[in-house]
Parts: sequence; C-alpha cells; structure tokens
Amino acid sequence: MTEKATALPRARTVVHPGPYGPVRIAHMHADKGRHFRLSLPAGRTLHHSLVQALAAEDVASASMTLIDGELEHLSFCTALPDPAGRVLATYGAPEALRCARLIFGNATMGRRADGGPIVHCHGVFREVDGRVRGGHILAERTLVGRSPVTVVVTALDSFELRVAYDEETRMPLMRPQARAVAHG
Amino acid sequence: MGRVAYARIGPNEDLVQSVEKLCVAQGMRHAFVRGALGSLIDACLERPDGACQVVRGPAVEIVSLAGEVRLQPDGTLRAALTGVVADTEGRVHGGPFVAGANAVCVTFEITLEEWLPSEDS
Repeated sequence: MTEKATALPRARTVVHPGPYGPVRIAHMHADKGRHFRLSLPAGRTLHHSLVQALAAEDVASASMTLIDGELEHLSFCTALPDPAGRVLATYGAPEALRCARLIFGNATMGRRADGGPIVHCHGVFREVDGRVRGGHILAERTLVGRSPVTVVVTALDSFELRVAYDEETRMPLMRPQARAVAHG
Repeated sequence: MGRVAYARIGPNEDLVQSVEKLCVAQGMRHAFVRGALGSLIDACLERPDGACQVVRGPAVEIVSLAGEVRLQPDGTLRAALTGVVADTEGRVHGGPFVAGANAVCVTFEITLEEWLPSEDS
C-alpha cells in the first residue's frame, strides 16, 4: 500500500534545562468519575468559589470545564520564552481586564506541596471592545461578575493531583499520584 | 460512562498521538476529552483547504479543547482534537490539531472519560 505523503510543518524539539524525565505520560485512572454542576456567584474569586464548592463535596482533585459567565475582574498572563534563560518558557506580567466575558475554560484542582488547594486554569474570553483573547487565568485574582460562571466538574476520587517540582523543566507541575490519606 | 483517566504529558511529546497512547495504556477504546490545559512549543491547526496554520511559540497555550478517541475498523485508535490556542500575545487561533505536529512545551494535563458504546452505535 502506498499513501501520498502530506507535508506537515516540522515540529520543533525543545531542550529544557534539567535532566530528561523517564516517564513521558504520567497517568492514573478512577473506575468511576463523579459529576457536579456548579454556579459560581458574583463578587468572589474563581479560586475561592471552586475550592469552597468542591470541599463541600469532599473533592480534593478535579478536572473542570468552565462555561460562560462575566468576569468583573480578570487577571491573566501568556507564556513567553524566559528572558533570564533559567527555564524554557515562563509567564509574562499579568494583564488585568474589567468586565470580560468568559467563553470557555478548563481548570484542574489539586494540592500544592504544602497540602493547600491549587487551581490551574486556562480560558478564552471576550473583552468589552469585542476582542477575543485567551491565556492562563490567575484564579486567585479573578472575580466573578453579575452573570455566574457555570462549571461542570469531574471529581477524581481514587487518586489525587499534586503539584511538585519537576526537575526537567524546573517548574512546579501538576501530576497524578496515589492518594496520601485514605478516606475513613 | 466508564472510567476516568488523567494524564500529565511531558515536553516534546505530540498532543494527538499522546492522547491515543494514553488510551492504549489505559485499555480504553472510545473516550471523550473532558478537560485539557497546557502549552505547546508551536501549534499546528488544520485549515479548511487542508493546509496547516502554524502559531509560533514557545509557548502557545491551549485555552479550549474538545475531542474524542475512537476505535477504527482496522483496530487502531484515532484521536480527533479541536480547540483554541492563545499565542504569546494572547491572540487566539482555532481549529483541529494536526497529529504529529503539536509538540508539548512544558506540560499538558488531560482528562479522558471512557465511553462504552452499545453494539449498534
């Protein structure tokens, strides 16, 4: 069998500062996921509302889809090459927007090394002038506005997501691991 | 709904093929993408004429992604992923992700929900 070759752009390979990690796809599964729907109220940060709502359901780790809603204050940043060269890519200075409309976002909640909750969120949004932009949303600095943000949650109950320092990239990164404490 | 799998995909691994490999590793044959966020070195999106639109990084952030993995008649697994990326200025670009041309930059987090189709679906 012969197939016509299609010309793909040549993918670039980057070199991170640290040693190559042997596991390229770190994965775990839960036999059953739990679903929740949340409606995040005005006047609170995305981080606070998500952490509080999920704690009430006894969820420590989750994968989430954010649908629509107004962001009274949005703080976000984009990824740039690190000017200092310490890491390959880093976040630029945060930008702040007033009254942006969230179009769609994805977020994961897990735990920091010290055990506290952390929310990692990327999203696409419309500015007041109609321009559509996207980036890494700083959930602790982003306030929900008059129109609530709807969130569909898949709870990950049988393992947890934890942020740990990654030697290869020299950045704190989320990865799945066995639960530290069993539910009793 | 079947199982739920979460993966962290490392640098230089192809996004589309890694999702297929994740299904192989997990023993899943059909799956929906439930959540995905992370960065690519450069993004490569398919245009209507079949050409590729390259969005240069690093890094290009994936800010929206939906997709599925389906078992093919020849027994292979095929992921179809589509979404929106933000470039280093926050400008957005969208389309289907071209397999083999979207390498992860720093990290990529993805959640898959297994789909157990009935015999006639």
